[in-house]
Amino acid sequence: MTEAAAPAPESRPPLRIRWALAFVVFAVFFAVNAWLQPSLLTTRVLTSNLTSFLPLVLVAIGQTYVVLAGDIDLTAGAIIALVNVSVVTLIEQAGGSGGAIALGLAAGIALGILCGLLNGLLVAVLRLQAIVTTFATSIVFGGIALWILPQAGGSVPQAYWRGYAGGLGPVKLTVILFLVALGTAILFSRMRWYRHLLAIGGNRLGAFQSGLAVTRQRVISYVLCGLFAALAALCLVGETASADPLLGPSFTLTSISAVVLGGTALAGGRGGVIGSILGALTLGLINNIVFFAKLPYVTQDLVKGLIILAALAGGILGARR
Amino acid sequence: MSLLVAENIRKAFGSTLALDGASLTVEPGEVHGLIGSNGCGKSTLCKIAAGSVGADEGHLRFDGREGFFGTPAAAAAAGIAVFYQELSLIPDLDVAENIALGHEPGRRGMVDGGAIHREGARLLARFGSSGGKGLTPGALVRDLSADQRQIAEICKILARAPKLVIFDEATSSLDGDQVQIFFEIVRELREAGTGIIFISHRMDELFAICDRITVMRDGRTEATLPVATTDREAVLTLMVGSALATRHRDEAPPRPGAPVLEVAGLSNAVLRDVSFTLHEGEILGLGGLHGQGQSAVLRAIFGADPSSGSVRLGGMPHARRSPAAAIRAGLGYVSGDRGINGVFLDRPILENMAIAHLSKSRAAVFRPRAFVERVAGIVARLNLRFAGYDFPLRTLSGGNQQKVVIARWLATGPRVLLLDDPTKGIDVEAKADLYAIIDELAAEGVAILLHSSEDEELLSTAHRVLVFGSGRIRADLAGEALTPTALYRAAYEVSAA
Amino acid sequence: MRLLRHPLVLAGLAILALLAIGEAVAPGFAGAGQLRSQFVIAAMLGVIAAGQNLVILAGREGIDLSVGAMLGLGALVAGNVMDGDNAMILAGLGAAVAVTGAFGLLNGLGITILRIPPLVMTLGMAGVIQGLLIILTSGRPSGRAAPALTRFIIDPLVAGIPGLVFVWAGLAVLLIWFLRRSRAGLNIYAIGTNQEAARLSGVPVTATRVLVFALSGAFSGITGFLILGYTQSVFIGVGNAYVLPSIIAVVIGGTPLSGGTGGYTGTIAGAILLTLLQSLLNAMAIEPFGRQIIFGLVLIGLMLIYGRQDRLRV
Repeated sequence: MTEAAAPAPESRPPLRIRWALAFVVFAVFFAVNAWLQPSLLTTRVLTSNLTSFLPLVLVAIGQTYVVLAGDIDLTAGAIIALVNVSVVTLIEQAGGSGGAIALGLAAGIALGILCGLLNGLLVAVLRLQAIVTTFATSIVFGGIALWILPQAGGSVPQAYWRGYAGGLGPVKLTVILFLVALGTAILFSRMRWYRHLLAIGGNRLGAFQSGLAVTRQRVISYVLCGLFAALAALCLVGETASADPLLGPSFTLTSISAVVLGGTALAGGRGGVIGSILGALTLGLINNIVFFAKLPYVTQDLVKGLIILAALAGGILGARR
Repeated sequence: MSLLVAENIRKAFGSTLALDGASLTVEPGEVHGLIGSNGCGKSTLCKIAAGSVGADEGHLRFDGREGFFGTPAAAAAAGIAVFYQELSLIPDLDVAENIALGHEPGRRGMVDGGAIHREGARLLARFGSSGGKGLTPGALVRDLSADQRQIAEICKILARAPKLVIFDEATSSLDGDQVQIFFEIVRELREAGTGIIFISHRMDELFAICDRITVMRDGRTEATLPVATTDREAVLTLMVGSALATRHRDEAPPRPGAPVLEVAGLSNAVLRDVSFTLHEGEILGLGGLHGQGQSAVLRAIFGADPSSGSVRLGGMPHARRSPAAAIRAGLGYVSGDRGINGVFLDRPILENMAIAHLSKSRAAVFRPRAFVERVAGIVARLNLRFAGYDFPLRTLSGGNQQKVVIARWLATGPRVLLLDDPTKGIDVEAKADLYAIIDELAAEGVAILLHSSEDEELLSTAHRVLVFGSGRIRADLAGEALTPTALYRAAYEVSAA
Repeated sequence: MRLLRHPLVLAGLAILALLAIGEAVAPGFAGAGQLRSQFVIAAMLGVIAAGQNLVILAGREGIDLSVGAMLGLGALVAGNVMDGDNAMILAGLGAAVAVTGAFGLLNGLGITILRIPPLVMTLGMAGVIQGLLIILTSGRPSGRAAPALTRFIIDPLVAGIPGLVFVWAGLAVLLIWFLRRSRAGLNIYAIGTNQEAARLSGVPVTATRVLVFALSGAFSGITGFLILGYTQSVFIGVGNAYVLPSIIAVVIGGTPLSGGTGGYTGTIAGAILLTLLQSLLNAMAIEPFGRQIIFGLVLIGLMLIYGRQDRLRV
C-alpha cells in the first residue's frame, strides 16, 4: 500500500458539532432570561451568574466522562460534601496560613481522586452494578463527611474567599476558572484516551476486540469525575467560606440532568463535555427565568420541573432526529 | 518457520463443545482458506488466535512466540488483526476514527485529527467509488450500509500493517466489484509476506484467492488441501462428511393438502419479491447460504419484521401486524438463535412452555395444573426429560431447551410452524427427536416451513426446497431435481460442471 | 454452598444475624415490642418497594426515581379527601391510587412511546410532582388522616400485631400471586428476561411496560396513604427518603437491576433487612455518621456477594 493517495473529495475532518442542539436550547433560554431580566447582559450580572453556575458546570464535566463510558456516578454530590468539610477542617487545623490553604486545596483534590478511584475499582475492576454501587459508596462518603463535621460550620481564612472572589485585573477568578475548565475539556476531547472512552461506551466488546484497555479507561473516567467534584467543592468553599456536610446531594442528580440536557446518551458512547457545560448553564438559566418571570412563589417549582422535563425529553427526541 | 501454528485446540461454552481438537498452520505470505458449515468452530478458532476468547486446551505459536494471547491488545501488539464477522466498529465514531482506533497518530496523548482523516481517506480510496455514496472518512459508522461497514472494517485492518490477518466472512455483504478490489488488497498483502486466514462460504472465492484450504467439521480440522491439487467436489465431500451418501426423502407428502399459506411478492429490507405456496401437511425447506433471506421470510410472515406484499392464511388475508396477531391466526415461530429469540433462561420450564398459549388464549389467570395436563402429552412426545416443571430453563441442555420452545408452540395448536434453523447448536440425539416430531406433525396436517443451515437436514426432511440467494428464491427443487449436488451447487454458486 | 448463595437464603441469614447481634448489643432488640415497631416501619418500605420491584423486574434499565414524589402526592390527596372523616377512608385510598397511578402511567408512556430512558423520565417526573405539591399545599402540610385509619395502622389488631402489618401481608400475597399466576405477571418476567423472545411469543411488550410504571405509581400512592395514617399529617418531602432505599431493598432481595429474575418474596426480606440494619445501628449507640458508614459498607459487601457482571473475555 505505497501508491499515492487518490485525491479525496474532502481532505480535512468534518466539523461535527455534537453540542449544536444543546447550544440552541441554551440560546433560547438565554434570550428568555435576558428578556425577563435586562440587566443579565451587563458584565457584573453575567459574572455573578457564571460564579453561581460554576460548581454545577464542573460536576457535569466530570459526570460526562463516566456517562460517555456507559456508566453512571451517583457519588458526585457526596464527594462534594466530603471534600468541602475536609478542606475547611484541614485548613482550620493547620492554622489558616497561606501554607495551610495550599495544603487544604491539595488534600481536597487528592481526596476527590481517591474517591473516584474507589468507585472505579468497584465498578470496572470488580464489575459491580454502577447505580447501586455508587449509591452505596455515596452513603459511605456522606457518612465520613458527617464524621469529620457533624453540622454546618467552620470557616476558612479570609485569604481563601477573598482570593476566590478576586481576579486578575478586571477579570474575575471564577471567569478564569470557567475558561480553564472549558479549555481543559476541549483539550481532553482531542486526546487519545477520550476517543477510547467514546469507543468503550459505544461498543464495549468492539472496543475490547480492537485492543483498547477497557477496564483502565472506565477507572480513569471515575477518577476524573471525583477530581471535578472535588474542584466543585473547592469553589463552593470559596463561595460560602464555610463547610456543610449536607451540601451536595442535589448535585448528583442535577449533574446527570445537565449531561442528558447536553445531548449525551445515558447508554454511553455519544455526546460530549461541551454539551454538558451548556446543559449545566441552561439549568442555571431555568432557575433564573422562573425567578424573574415573577411567577407566584408556589408555582415556581412546578414550572421549573415542567421546563426541565420538557427540555430533557426534547433533547432526547431531538438527538434521535 | 510457520507464522501461526494452532494445535489441538479445545473450547467449551458451558455444555456446548465448540472446538474439539482443531488445528491450523499458516505460513507467511500464504492465503489460507477456512471453510465448514455453520457452527463448525471457524470463528471460535480465530477468536482464540486473536486473544478475544480463551482456550481450554491446546497449543499456540505465533511468529516464534509460544502461548495463547491473554487479551486482544496483546495479540494486536504481536501483529494479529481480525476482521470480526459481527464487526468491531464503534457506531458513533466516524469511519476514519474507527480505522485509527487504538493506534491514533499524534503526539503526547493528543490525537491528530487531520492525520487520522488523511489516513482514512487514503485507505478508503482503495475502494474508489465502489463503496457507494456516503462512505467518506467523516461519515459516522451508524449511518453506513452493511457493505460500507465491511469496507470500513477491512480498512481498519490495513491500517494496522499486521503480520497475520484473519478475514472472518469479510465479503458476505460485498458486491462483485468490491470483492475484486478486496482480492487485489489480499494479493498485495500476500506479496508483502503477510499471512492471511480467509473464511468464506463462497466456494468460488476460496478457489479464486487461496493457496491452501482447511476444512473444519464439528469443531475438528478435517483436512488441509493445497488448492492447486484439489477441486470443489473434494472440499464439499469433506465438509459434509457422510451426508452426501444419505438419500433425501423420496416420498411426496402423503396426501396433497389444500394450500394453507400463500405468499406473493413479499419484499422488505432483505427480501426481493418472494412468492410461494405452502400446503397442508407439507414440509417446505428453505436453503442456501447463511443469511440470504431464509430467516427474513419466516420473520416477515410471523409479523416480527415489517414487509410489503400479500400473505394469505387458509384463504384469508394475513395482516402481519405483530407476532401476537400471527399467534392468534395459528402461526408458531421457532428460532435457532434461542438466546435472542426464544428462551427465558431464568424462568421455570413451565412458564417457558406456557407463554405463547397464554397470549393466544388471552386468559388473565395462569392455571399451572391445567396447563401441565395440556402439555404432558407433548412433553412425552418430544422425548423431553427434566427434573421438574419449576426448574429454571437454564438447567437444561441446548437441545432440551429447544424442545421446550417447540412444546411452547405445540401447546398453541398451530396450523403453520415456521422453523428458523431450529437445530442450530444442539446435539445429535435432540436433532433426531426434533426431526421425528416434524415428520409426525406434517403427517397430522400441520404445514411446516423449515429453514436449515445444514443441507443434509433439508435433504432428509423436506418434501421440497427453495434455495435463497440475495433475498430471492434462486431455485425450487423437488422430486428428482432435489439432489445433494443440486442443492450444494445452488447454495455455493458453483456453476454446473 | 449453592443454596447459601441464593439471595433469599442470604437475606434470611442476614436478618437472623442482625437480630442476634441486636439482642446481644441491646437486650430486647429481638423482643416482641421492638419487632412490632420494626415491622411497621418495614411495611412502609416494603409497599413502596413493591412498585419499584415490578419496574426493575421488567428490565431495560427500568428504575423509578419518582416514587418519593408520588408518595408525597398520594399522602396529600388521601389527606385532603379524608380530612379526618372516618367515612372517607376508602375514598381517600382510591383517590390517592388513581392520581399516582395516572402519573405512573405518564411515566410509562414517556418511556415507551417517546423512548426516554427511565432514569431521566422518572427523575424529571419527580421534579414536576414536587412542584405540583408545593402549589397544592403552598408549602404547608395539608389534610388529615381519618382517626380510624390511624388506630388501624398503629394499634394492635390481632395477637398484638398492628393492622398495617396485615395490610402489607395482604398486599404481598396478592402481588406474589399476581407475579406467579397472572398472565400480566408472567409477561413482566418475560419482557425483563428477554424482550425479543417475549415479543415473538405474543407478549404485549409496550402495554406491559406501561403497566409496571402505572403500578409503581399506585404502590407509591398506597404508601403515601399508609404513612399519612401512621403519622396523621405529612410534609411534602416525606417521600424523598424512600427513593433509593426502595431500590436497595429490591436489589438485596435478589432482583438484579438488569431485571427478569427475582421476585417480591426477596424484596420483603430486603425491606426487613434494611429496616433492621438501620435500627440496629441506631441501637448500637453509634453516632449517626458511623451508622451511615457501616450501612454503606454493608451494601457494598452485599453487592460483592451477588452483584457481579460478566467478563468481556469468555
